[in-house]
Amino acid sequence: MLDHGTTPLRYARGWHCLGLASSFADGKPHAVHGFGTKLVVWQDSQGKLNVLDGYCRHMGGDLTQGEVKGDHVACPFHDWRWGGDGKCKEIPYARRVPLRARTHRYETAVRNGQLLIWNDPEGSAADHDILPPELPGVAQQLGETSDTYTDWRWEVVPIEGSHCRELIDNVADMAHFYYVHFSFPTSFRNIFEGTRATQFMESKGRPDKSEGYGDAELFLKSEATYYGPAYMINWLEVDYKGFETEVILINCHIPTGPDSFTLMYGITVKKPEGIDDKTADYISKKYAEMFGGGFLQDVHIWQNKVPVQNPLLCEEDGPVYQLRRWYEQFYTDVADLKPEMTDRFEFEVDTTKANEYWQAEVAANLAKRESAEV
Amino acid sequence: MPSFVPTSPTTLEEQRLYTQARLVEVACLDCLAKVAVKKNSEHHTSIQWNAEAVEACPELGRREGASGSRDGHRGCPRLLASIDVAVREGQIPIGAEDGY
Repeated sequence: MLDHGTTPLRYARGWHCLGLASSFADGKPHAVHGFGTKLVVWQDSQGKLNVLDGYCRHMGGDLTQGEVKGDHVACPFHDWRWGGDGKCKEIPYARRVPLRARTHRYETAVRNGQLLIWNDPEGSAADHDILPPELPGVAQQLGETSDTYTDWRWEVVPIEGSHCRELIDNVADMAHFYYVHFSFPTSFRNIFEGTRATQFMESKGRPDKSEGYGDAELFLKSEATYYGPAYMINWLEVDYKGFETEVILINCHIPTGPDSFTLMYGITVKKPEGIDDKTADYISKKYAEMFGGGFLQDVHIWQNKVPVQNPLLCEEDGPVYQLRRWYEQFYTDVADLKPEMTDRFEFEVDTTKANEYWQAEVAANLAKRESAEV
Repeated sequence: MPSFVPTSPTTLEEQRLYTQARLVEVACLDCLAKVAVKKNSEHHTSIQWNAEAVEACPELGRREGASGSRDGHRGCPRLLASIDVAVREGQIPIGAEDGY
């Protein structure tokens, strides 16, 4: 029997990406849905990005519909002014600001040109040691540009009706790359340790498909690491018709409710030697479409499946249980963490049998198609 | 606080089967690391480390220094060689049992 289990009543501890830092840097308040509420994001006069609970602690006004006044965000309801430190700085009509006038603030960091915030239901201070790494050559802070990488292409996809653990499961799921994304995973390994979970995969496209990664001349070497519960860097060496490109894909999400989340992905491409910026941007657009299409294939599966606590695995499957044990650490109070959640675990899937079968199936599909065309 | 809570008591047994069953202890031939290993086939390998073993492995210790490096994404070649020896000596049974 499928055990659907119950979904967690909390949101994961760790760094969550809200989007490209530049998209919040226009002097206006911005709304981002996350952690069951709405957050307000704005840039102050020093250029710092600030994130607070989007609803005013006074009477619940929507700060994202307010205005930035000086360094503060002002509520549209009664003009209470809030600072990035979470304190109320001014109430224009009041003699004094109550000392207790504080709201929930999120600690922020800018990495790889993206805004990240720390979430912890236990209220701990942000752990900067476990931030995702800075990608060498990629523009980091606001206003920087890169000579070696194209600008991020950034896409936002709201997902309703699925818990974000469905997305995480992909890290350990070898066989879905054939069925959902139309590629042959020829090599597949995982390492989970501490707050990181990595998938290594080499794959080639299926010649009998043209959507997703289906293409006889597409070879991928992929190394994808989750840094915490919600931010993955995927380093990809893409070989398409003998033309090699280095692609970096960011796959991140922010939970919005008990069974909904916002998926975001960003693509940057290392500008190939001797290729002008316009062509490099075109290449990044093409890869963004390809990987974007890949995510939509996953989304279709998630929105129609049920949650499962007790997946029934065969020996060619990846380490789903160990991955979930790793993921559970982010939903567990620090005092209750168990060593096995963070202990190093390595796994290599034997893809031989699977690929023998898949090669035969694809050959049969191609033969069928050819005879239909005659 | 409750997290992903199974609603069927047999789920816990399944979790145990997939994460703990059939693990065999393998000691590294080059350092004091001891890990738990499972092999579903010649090519498949599952390696469960603990903190003590990671501490004992000079190869992993050397990599820890470079934070943000992608080095830690590879296994320790000495440990992998030690597992190969253990397989050749018949210490690790090869072949899955009903999917785990």
